[in-house]
Amino acid sequence: MLFRMIKGALLRQWSKMLLIALTIALGASLATSMINVMLDVGDKVNEELKAYGANIVVKPKASSLLSDIYDVEDEGAELQQAWLREDELGKLKTIFWAFNIRDFAPFLTVGATVDGQPVQVVGTWFNQHLSLPTGEELDAGVRNLRSWWDVPDGDWIDQQTEGADHEIMVGTALAEAMGVTKGDSLTLTGRAGSVTATVKGIIDSGDAADEQIWAPLDLAQKLADLDGKVASIEVSAITTPDNDLARRAAQNPSALSRADYDTWYCTAYVSAVCYQITEVITDSVASAVRQVAESEGEILNKTQLLMILITALSLVGAALGISNLVTASVMERSREIGLLKAIGAHDKAITGTVMAEILITALAGMVIGYFAGLGFAQFIGHQVFGSAINIKPVVIPVVAALIAVVTIAGSLPAISTILRLDPAEVLHGSKA
Amino acid sequence: MKRRAMFFRMITASLLRRRSRMLIALLSIAIGATILAGLVTVYVDVPRQMAAQFRSYGANMILMPAGSGVLSEADAEAAQTVIPGEELVGATPYRYVYLNMVRRQQTFAAAGTEFDQVQKTSPYFKVVGRYPSEPRQVLVGKSVADTIGVKENSVMELTWFPPSVDAAESPASGAAEIAPGMVLSGQAAGFGMQEGMNNKPVYVVVTIGDDGTIASLTVDTSGESEGFGTQCSESFFTDRFIGKPARDLELGKDVDAVSGATITSAAVVEAVNSAAPVDDTAAVLTPRTVNYTVVGILETGGEEEDYIYMSLDDMASITGQAGQVDFVELSVSASQDSLERYAQEISDSGRATARLVKRVIRSEATVLGKLQALVFLVTAVVLVLTMVSVSTTMMAVVAERRREIGLRKALGASDNAIRVEFLGEGLFLGALGGLLGAGLGFVFAQVVSVNVFGSDIRFSMLLLPVTVIVSMMVAALSCLLPVRRAVAIDPALVLKGE
Repeated sequence: MLFRMIKGALLRQWSKMLLIALTIALGASLATSMINVMLDVGDKVNEELKAYGANIVVKPKASSLLSDIYDVEDEGAELQQAWLREDELGKLKTIFWAFNIRDFAPFLTVGATVDGQPVQVVGTWFNQHLSLPTGEELDAGVRNLRSWWDVPDGDWIDQQTEGADHEIMVGTALAEAMGVTKGDSLTLTGRAGSVTATVKGIIDSGDAADEQIWAPLDLAQKLADLDGKVASIEVSAITTPDNDLARRAAQNPSALSRADYDTWYCTAYVSAVCYQITEVITDSVASAVRQVAESEGEILNKTQLLMILITALSLVGAALGISNLVTASVMERSREIGLLKAIGAHDKAITGTVMAEILITALAGMVIGYFAGLGFAQFIGHQVFGSAINIKPVVIPVVAALIAVVTIAGSLPAISTILRLDPAEVLHGSKA
Repeated sequence: MKRRAMFFRMITASLLRRRSRMLIALLSIAIGATILAGLVTVYVDVPRQMAAQFRSYGANMILMPAGSGVLSEADAEAAQTVIPGEELVGATPYRYVYLNMVRRQQTFAAAGTEFDQVQKTSPYFKVVGRYPSEPRQVLVGKSVADTIGVKENSVMELTWFPPSVDAAESPASGAAEIAPGMVLSGQAAGFGMQEGMNNKPVYVVVTIGDDGTIASLTVDTSGESEGFGTQCSESFFTDRFIGKPARDLELGKDVDAVSGATITSAAVVEAVNSAAPVDDTAAVLTPRTVNYTVVGILETGGEEEDYIYMSLDDMASITGQAGQVDFVELSVSASQDSLERYAQEISDSGRATARLVKRVIRSEATVLGKLQALVFLVTAVVLVLTMVSVSTTMMAVVAERRREIGLRKALGASDNAIRVEFLGEGLFLGALGGLLGAGLGFVFAQVVSVNVFGSDIRFSMLLLPVTVIVSMMVAALSCLLPVRRAVAIDPALVLKGE
């Protein structure tokens, strides 16, 4: 009998039930899309913030101290005593947070002369192809780390083509001073040898690189006889904004309790990633570039908070909207409820029937709304970030609970209000 | 007249009698209006607020001297007036010189700056300790601190050597005629130039009196051996030169040496004999040694860690040159286009050359653009969904009154009269809900702004009428749809409930 009544109600009043289902679907899709976007916005914005370049710089441990002990005046890179090893760079992709390491490049600045004029030559990777022991393949280098650079004349050096070893890029200011353009040949004379290289492109960087020559690492190493050595490494890593624990850990990881240490080590704090880098690169000190790391944290936190508040408003709106409509639809049926009561139905039976009808409608609406919400989330993800939003299954129970609570909260009080009234009055229409 | 009175009575009566249902409709419109007003306010104001956050990446414009040389503080300040005050987050002047730590034979780059501005243009600086606030306090970069082993509250002695005191090498050296009132400076190799010492000569500054003889002598012996050669800078020795000619002095004949410091004494005599006139008597170029207290260690992870920072006043007092800076870092909260315009204007004025920091500007444009697009799309999606949800609720509330519509029609009301009445009801609810929602929406936007950005939000007053009108339109439209359907049906059928 109950089923027949519910079925009857659903079929006969399909247009009203459709309205309820539609509203619930709208609310559910709003909740689904907003929560999904909110949960993923941190990762997405973090990815965008990589445009600012490296947030970690790795240097040899003893570089500054050695020059002190041996009374060596700092006269450029050649006199630096400590180096990092080029062959260890691949190890960066073997640390615990390897997946978060987006890009990296080694740097070696050496002095050289071109036609007797002293110039700084920076050796680096442009797009070095790496095949890691883990089977992973990637291109690392400054092409992504210096996203703000323009190459107004010529092109970036492509290390995956023949002859890239004898190509260089020249900063705009230096190129102008030397009267060099794309395609020119320059002979660089370093401490240990000279190399003739072709100018592949001109760099417009808006920073110190405008007055430097940028060359493949091998070329710079040859100039100064520093095979396999690099002076510093820049790493661009996706990190979690620092909190109290991270700040304490950054000062001295060994002072943490065991549990705290594990939490810290297994969270992508910039200090934890730095620590793990020093574990794999021999005699190195990795430190956060605060200009990038700190600002990144600020902006990430603000964006996330902003999205949380907008999501909260949407959820409250959706919840009120749904419970509002459910209340309205129950009140609309006051005559029917009054009639059922007048012909002797128990309060419990009436409540059960009406609730079952509404909940079945709500379930249908929710399922439709959930998938529609996923659609909205992906639409936002593709439009804004050009990549899919990561769908989190945890959203399903959250949305289900939300819909259940607001549907019940919207209908139960209304039903009991009507039931408390005299059926005659309800039927007459003078109350409620 | 009567008709209109009746119309209002019907609307108010319907609103009053059907309190609970109308409350539901009103609530639903208010929710929609709140979301509209709140999200649009946030959307409009977010770019401004977010741009302010991006200033944490530091300076995005650099003022450099026009042409060569140094930039005067006055020129730098005049150049900044191009930028509107509210857009200028901070302007930090920097003046770089090399200072020597004589005892450790090391040279460091020191920067003179204004610390209250540094905190605005470089908010990412991390200072262990505190920023200098009193004279003779310095902030030391971490790598400098590690190298020389200084900590908070350490005292470090720094010496400034004038870059232009190359009297011994200058061709005019010693040859110039001595005239009354002249100021001479010179240098000579003392004990400090010997093997194992700090490779630093003895410097002297001589003033010539009216009679053409030495009126005063200042000697810098900071490179000499402590307790021996350093005595030569004390007055008991320098007084021996007063009243003597500043040329062809001989040690032991004209001036007696300090016992135990013969080499230094000889160097002073030689420096005086070879001293060359200094053109600018105001800037007497003499090495100066000052003790500084380290009050903080600077950590940035960048090259800023290689410098020692002090106030511009301290820098002026050790170098004797005030009012000059090498460059000024500006942090400007403005779009790329405005920044380019400001830079052009400043460069055109000829006071300074303005350069934009491409890294900061380019990346900010990319990221800020994405964030704006995100908030826009989110706002659009939420608004559309909310408006549809509002109208379904309104439709449900109105559809319930089909019976009433049928009854009224049976009693002889015209279709139009019914439509107008419902429209009036909808517009009234829309206006009320819209006003209520706009107020709540502004409250929401303010809460967001204070919590996220820590500052007040800017309301656009235009949004108030827009919210009210949109609410009225949505309410009226969602009323009319079910009413039209109810009106179209035969009253008998409607009343029967089919």
